[in-house]
Amino acid sequence: MMLLVVTLTTFAIFFMIPKWAGSDPALLFVGKQSDPEAIEGIRQKLSLDDPLLVQFWHFIEGLFAGRDYANGNDVTHCPAPCFGYSFRTEQAVWPQLTDAMPVTLSLAAGACVLWLVGGVTAGVVSALRRGTLWDRAAMGVALAGVSLPIYFTGLLSLAIFSYQLNWVDVDYQGITDDPAMWFQSLILPWITLAFLYAATYARLTRATMLEIMGEDYIRTARAKGLRERVVIGRHAMRSTWTPILTLLGLDLGALLGGAVLTESTYNLPGLGRLAVTAISNKDLPVILGVTLMAALFIVVANLIVDLLYAVVDPRVRLG
Amino acid sequence: MKPLRSSRSRRIAGAAVVVGALMATAACGGNKDDDKSEGAGFNAATKGIANASTKTGGTLKFINKQDFDSLDPQRQYYGFAWDFSRFYARQLVTYAPKPGKASNELVPDLATSNAKITDGGKTYTYTLRDGITWEDGSPITSQDVKYGIERIWAKDLISGGPAYLRQVLDPDGKYKGPYKDKSKDKLGLKAIETPDAKTIIFRLPKPNGDFEQMLAMPTGSPVKASKDKGAQYTNQPFSSGPYKVQSYKPGKGAVLVRNDKWKKASDPIRPALPDKVTVTLNSNLDAVDELLIKGDYDVFLSATGMGQAGRSEALKQHKDNVDNIETSFVRYVDFATKVKPFDNVHCRKAVFYATDYTSLQTIRGGPQAAGDIATTMLPKSIAGWDEYDPYGVIERTSKTGKKYKEAMAAARAKAKDELKQCGKPDGFSANIVARNDQPNEVKAAEALQAALGEVGIKLQVENIDGASSASITGSPSVMKKRNLGLSMTGWGPDFPTGQGFEQPLIDGRFIQQTGNYNVSETNDPTINGLFDKALKETDPAKAGESYKEINHKIVDLAVQMPFLYEKNITWRSSRLTNAFSSAAYNGRYDYSQLGVVK
Amino acid sequence: MTAPVHGTSTDAEPAAPVDVAADVVKASVEGRSLRQIAWMRLKRDKLALAGGAVVLLLVLVAVFAPLIVSLLGHPPNEFHQEEIDPLFGTPKGSWGGISSDFLFGVEPSNGRDVFSRIVYGARISLLVAFLAAVVAVVLGTVFGVIAGYFGGWVDTVISRVMDMLLAFPQLLFIISLVSVLPNDLLGLSGSGVRIAILVSVIGFFGWPYVGRIVRGQTLSLREKEYVEAARSLGAGRRYILFRELLPNLVAPITVYATLMIPTNILTEAALSFLGAGVKPPTASWGQMLSDAVGTYKDDPMFMIIPGLAIFITVLAFNLFGDGVRDALDPKGTR
Repeated sequence: MMLLVVTLTTFAIFFMIPKWAGSDPALLFVGKQSDPEAIEGIRQKLSLDDPLLVQFWHFIEGLFAGRDYANGNDVTHCPAPCFGYSFRTEQAVWPQLTDAMPVTLSLAAGACVLWLVGGVTAGVVSALRRGTLWDRAAMGVALAGVSLPIYFTGLLSLAIFSYQLNWVDVDYQGITDDPAMWFQSLILPWITLAFLYAATYARLTRATMLEIMGEDYIRTARAKGLRERVVIGRHAMRSTWTPILTLLGLDLGALLGGAVLTESTYNLPGLGRLAVTAISNKDLPVILGVTLMAALFIVVANLIVDLLYAVVDPRVRLG
Repeated sequence: MKPLRSSRSRRIAGAAVVVGALMATAACGGNKDDDKSEGAGFNAATKGIANASTKTGGTLKFINKQDFDSLDPQRQYYGFAWDFSRFYARQLVTYAPKPGKASNELVPDLATSNAKITDGGKTYTYTLRDGITWEDGSPITSQDVKYGIERIWAKDLISGGPAYLRQVLDPDGKYKGPYKDKSKDKLGLKAIETPDAKTIIFRLPKPNGDFEQMLAMPTGSPVKASKDKGAQYTNQPFSSGPYKVQSYKPGKGAVLVRNDKWKKASDPIRPALPDKVTVTLNSNLDAVDELLIKGDYDVFLSATGMGQAGRSEALKQHKDNVDNIETSFVRYVDFATKVKPFDNVHCRKAVFYATDYTSLQTIRGGPQAAGDIATTMLPKSIAGWDEYDPYGVIERTSKTGKKYKEAMAAARAKAKDELKQCGKPDGFSANIVARNDQPNEVKAAEALQAALGEVGIKLQVENIDGASSASITGSPSVMKKRNLGLSMTGWGPDFPTGQGFEQPLIDGRFIQQTGNYNVSETNDPTINGLFDKALKETDPAKAGESYKEINHKIVDLAVQMPFLYEKNITWRSSRLTNAFSSAAYNGRYDYSQLGVVK
Repeated sequence: MTAPVHGTSTDAEPAAPVDVAADVVKASVEGRSLRQIAWMRLKRDKLALAGGAVVLLLVLVAVFAPLIVSLLGHPPNEFHQEEIDPLFGTPKGSWGGISSDFLFGVEPSNGRDVFSRIVYGARISLLVAFLAAVVAVVLGTVFGVIAGYFGGWVDTVISRVMDMLLAFPQLLFIISLVSVLPNDLLGLSGSGVRIAILVSVIGFFGWPYVGRIVRGQTLSLREKEYVEAARSLGAGRRYILFRELLPNLVAPITVYATLMIPTNILTEAALSFLGAGVKPPTASWGQMLSDAVGTYKDDPMFMIIPGLAIFITVLAFNLFGDGVRDALDPKGTR
């Protein structure tokens, strides 16, 4: 449902507004020497003259069943899942998405691990040593973290670690091509992105933890004479995870937004950068593809989080 | 993008840590490893041939920011793609593999000699060489050449490439292209005859002195009909040159390997030195520069110049690996003469006087990275160029310091005077279009805005994205409706003659409702007549005389304001051999000549 | 918060109104107004006060930008290419050309005064952030109250819409939208259009956050005794909404609005960074950072200064916002 609405809205924006503003997607296709006949041919091939909903239907159809683009004798078949062909490069969109996906996934997964570990640890320690210097420092860093724009920390980290100190090389390579290079090129983006998010998690963890430590069952557990480590590890942490997971679901879904900036700053060939390029080129099929992927991201992220709930909270498992 | 809803905190330390790190970076302006460069010397490839060599072997590694528009020779319009396509596509004639301006000369490639021109410049006849073959070993025939050229008529499928041949050979558009061709061999185009496999005859309805130039573009390449995959041909063009495409992945790059069926004896042009040619794409210009300086790649394929950071590192530390290349690009401002008040020549001239050319030059990168100050539209390498400077620009900009300020003040006084004659003594408001995918154009527009503000001309910069320029600057009605009087832009020649450079920009008969390039909508009978006269000429020097007159006329009418003959800073790896800047390829190295030290 | 607050719930929320000038000791016995308590708490929170002071300073800077610049700087769009090394396009002076004449140095290649551009950039940043927060608060309150108060299918529809908007790939969406919208709109042109677009779009995507909270609060308030009482006394819907519910929503909405502003500042800067912000030559911090991408290796100051401007502003708002929240919400997790 969500996917459908997102797609339709994107479609509408890129089909209706340019028309209203007087520019023509077919013109994007023809290049330097445009010719009325060539433009007409492209309009037909892409069925740009059909009403919005018909075009939308063709698009959905293409996703599941593949689609033929016909223009006179020349028929191009685009197998399912067919996202169409880029207006600018005329290359099929699906392979571009599958190329960019692993980059964004690498970025998201690595950063996510980092920020969970970093944020939750910092939060727990802060909560347990409330009021100490450590607590203040950690929360200070956390607040700085959420106040720093990622493109600024990104540029700064590049300037310091890549350019000044020459510690890392940031030329992205796929994990299968060159694992060492892959790791090297992603380490800065991971840290930068994680820094931003870890801050929120640290603050959330700390708050939840403090609240839980005051609950009766913790007191009971302590009264039973359980060791502090067990009390915290088994009992307190379990409840702390629930709000963290909720936030994680939201964040992972919205991560593509962060990826846009991170990938632009670090020049990673992922979905975010693909999206920015496509948007500035008004390349509708690519924009649609990325937007759909982003929406899919959200759905999958929520699914994963739901599964994790079950792991963390036995009540959910039963229900 | 959501406000925080987490807990209370006591926080101080974080900020201090960050600030400390910032200061550390701010302190130094970046000086890194100082490895000894072994380049052939500053400007070695603009003065002559850098590291001349005939040694074969090795891999020539290109890197580029931008992908090819196509590998299909009939669909390429990017200048670097034209230069690159000569690795795998040959034409009847091509540009001489000589440094600088000498490259503008046409020499035979697939043909045994340049055309025999008869019938008052209306018939061009070529004979093909012996031993020319496709990558499968079959001979290249005159029919293959004709078929390749016919593909340009299939406008809907083979889009993107220049249309010159189609417009000259079939101005009425009678032929519908080989895919809709009912004849058995698909060779229905009347204007080209192939009496036998070795002879090809072109019959022009009207003479055009630059016809051979048009055949030298990749659109004149042969295509073997049985290997033609229509719009998909770009993925695997069938090679007629010394290399064949092993793989091409859009957005990633391409690998070319030797075509073992190509015989050196059949090709007087290409030395084919490297064993392999690769193109790697990387969309970050700074990263591209870093990788070049590091020595991972040899040449920046599109040769549009290094970025600000790369440039200063290269010039300061590796000057011997740098060429300051003169491209054939001219940066200029177009005046939409149908948009008020630019319908009045005095208002246009006011802009000429008020413009601070040095400021425009500095903002685009200074004399080395931006280029020399221009006073006319034609690039220096094209016949018809001369020093013509009715507005005293060179005199003004050759001064420095206080003298320059005085000269600018004097020019502004002249601008005020022109404004008075235009009936706008207090100045006026206007909009200037700049393409935001060209950050330098936006910056230059801002510079112009600052300069014109001094005489009361209030400019507003309208950013448009490059993708929509065809429907904005390319549409006279949109320009008028949105009151866009000026356009910050640039232009390079399709082929190195006056026609190839400026006919679409200034000939009144080229004004179109969409995809228009005659943005000024100049329709001057004298200019149009001069073009007709030049086209009839087969002698380039005589044609050049007409182009010179056109060139002067443009500045006199003040319909286009050129300000830079573009130059850029190009990296040449220490491994690169046989490198020289070729005027015919917009100052790029002639890629077909390059080699590498293993 | 001058409206009388009807707080009669079981919590420590005091009965009001109370004379603000009342004796503190007396007040502590009889119960103080929410505002007083909040103010006392806020006064004790040094960091929040510092944040507040910086915020105030920034607002003053933005309001008096022309005056400040005329005293300490050069006009923000004026070129000073005599300060630029023509060969490399970088400032001639070290540290980004910082001098007594150019307090924060000059911009590479055109020599514009960075100080003036930062000062003027504050205007755009704050203006967009404030207005967008207003848009979000108005929309969020209206829809949140409607959803919470009426319940039923109205609530379902509004809640679904909010969920969907929250899950939208917003940033992508906003840049797409900005890229296709024409430059002239509704009689506005130039930077005006962009500001209007930015405000409405950022505000539009912000309202569900406010909406959710308001809805939740409304739901719980609706069942409170004093509302029931009013209802049973025959008070009209309008009376209940505006006299009984809204005043009690003021506190959470204020907190949320303050915390929203820094987020909006970041969003505006991000959009400018990606080229979807206000149009040049209008100065904006995000735009400056994006310009610095090409030159940061040679001229790091030009990157650091706008970066710090964003950082300090956002940090100050966050500190202040946190303080306000804690002050208004005594049960808030500490």
